Amino acid sequence: MAALLLTILLACAAPQDERSSPVGVPAWIRDLVLPGSELVVAPADFTAPIVLRIDEVYAHGDSFRYDLVYYGLDPGTFDLGDFLKRRDGSSAEDLPPIAVEISSVLPPGQIMPNTLNAGQVPGVGGYELTLWIGGALWLAGLVAILALGRKRRGEHGDAGERTVTLAERLRPLVEQAMAGTLSQEDRAQLELMLIAFWRRKLGLEDAGAVASLARLKEHEEAGPLLRQLEDWLHRPQPAADVDLNELLAPYRDLPADALEPVKGGP
Amino acid sequence: MTQGNNGSPDFERTASFINAVRERIATVVVGQDVVVERLLISLFTGGHILLQGVPGIAKTLLAATLSKALDLEFARVQFTIDLLPSDIVGSEVLDQRTNEFRTHMGPIFTNLLLADEINRAAPKVQSALLEAMQERKVTIGSESFALPAPFLVIATQNPVEQAGTFELPEAQLDRFMLLHRLEYPKPDEEREVLRRNALLGIQRADRGAIVRTEFDVIDDTPVGSSEEITAAMEAVNQVHVSETFLEHVVELVNRTRTHEAIELGGSPRAGIALIKASRARALIHGRSYVIPEDLFDLAEDAVLHRLRLRYEALAEGRTTAGLLEEMLSGMGATPMPARA
Repeated sequence: MAALLLTILLACAAPQDERSSPVGVPAWIRDLVLPGSELVVAPADFTAPIVLRIDEVYAHGDSFRYDLVYYGLDPGTFDLGDFLKRRDGSSAEDLPPIAVEISSVLPPGQIMPNTLNAGQVPGVGGYELTLWIGGALWLAGLVAILALGRKRRGEHGDAGERTVTLAERLRPLVEQAMAGTLSQEDRAQLELMLIAFWRRKLGLEDAGAVASLARLKEHEEAGPLLRQLEDWLHRPQPAADVDLNELLAPYRDLPADALEPVKGGP
Repeated sequence: MTQGNNGSPDFERTASFINAVRERIATVVVGQDVVVERLLISLFTGGHILLQGVPGIAKTLLAATLSKALDLEFARVQFTIDLLPSDIVGSEVLDQRTNEFRTHMGPIFTNLLLADEINRAAPKVQSALLEAMQERKVTIGSESFALPAPFLVIATQNPVEQAGTFELPEAQLDRFMLLHRLEYPKPDEEREVLRRNALLGIQRADRGAIVRTEFDVIDDTPVGSSEEITAAMEAVNQVHVSETFLEHVVELVNRTRTHEAIELGGSPRAGIALIKASRARALIHGRSYVIPEDLFDLAEDAVLHRLRLRYEALAEGRTTAGLLEEMLSGMGATPMPARA
């Protein structure tokens, strides 16, 4: 019993030294004594049915002993001698045949892989067409939005123009101030807002209120309206003949909200 | 709002009178145009003025020159810790010849009183003066005496030396229409001061000589009189104050009351002082109506001494002057806070 077990274990541990193997599975031939000078594996191309490698070479008298490893790529019987050559370049035709058999696990005659199951049919035109359609729709939406906005602006065109510039915004207030119909609070706010606006615009915020006001009244752009407002709002009998367009000229190119007070502060 | 009476004020006459006064003062005092203007504003509006500044910048000389230029009686009281109210207002003294009490009028019975270093006197003395300033009369014994007209108190205080002084509380400061902070003269002015002083020389007296001072060169000939001052006071009352200007004043005072860093804002008296002072300034500048420039120029002198900062603001190093400038700049630039 023990001898049987030992035999099985030795059989399992020993390398496969059989001359028959399936396609793609490596096999070994060990301690193979071949006559003549040393052999090496001959160069092979990708069409060779056998891939051969010499694992070890040992001197064996006037010959050499070899451990060979090989695996087959095509089924059939092959002579490994066809894949060897002499290191010294002499002929290897005197070698005895080293026949090996490469077997296949596929059924006989089958040379193609199994057919694949057909997948889902892709959309018409594929991914590229989908991208083009999406892009076109986005562009059409953008054009529609722009066109709609322009149309609305056109419908309210006259009302929008009145508040485009600061001059247009100031004109009714100044006219009312000139006529004396502006409320007291609005008069006061108008004057102070203009002073504050010009101080901001001319960078006089740190110059002190008194010095700033004196400079503003002398300034060629800020001065005319401030002086005239002072006349209208504070003088008992203000001057009547005034060119409003000239007074508002410095405000023509300014946005309507330029006068807005800054949020927060004292 | 204020139109004055229907008679047209003689602005030209008043303007020439004011110019004459300023020129006369300029012959003795170099520069200090703003202080002279503030003194005239106080005089024309019946207010009183507190001058705050270091010693030696011609406060007394200015007051003396002004009194002589306007032919006004002038008295000076140096306030000290041991001063008594009776030292200012007067007292009843027993006349040993008649065995009756006789009223001794104090130095307050004058047209122009210089209360030098008012913060050195005890609070009861300060109160006596401030009450007299407001009521324009004093009671000695059981009798009340009206103070002469015009009556102007020019008080001074030194902002540097605080040891041994009694700081005027805001309620007392509020009695002064203006508090003007004096500054050192500009280099050009200082050169002129030194140049003039070097030319003063000495004058012979008795058997020796004394060094002449600036007080010795004050021209005794008046350039104006009580009539001119009265005319100027009438003219001030005819200076037009627009409703818009009133709005500006209300907004500024309101901002002092609603500012988060200020504990005590401007009183209604602050607004009144601003209007009065602005009218006088307008007259001095040859206008018959006030403008925002008057407000901005006088705000510091008329409002600042009535404000008291919160402790937190003081700890942050903020000053009432800085906050006031911030508020003036904020008018029109930031939304007006809700009215207090």
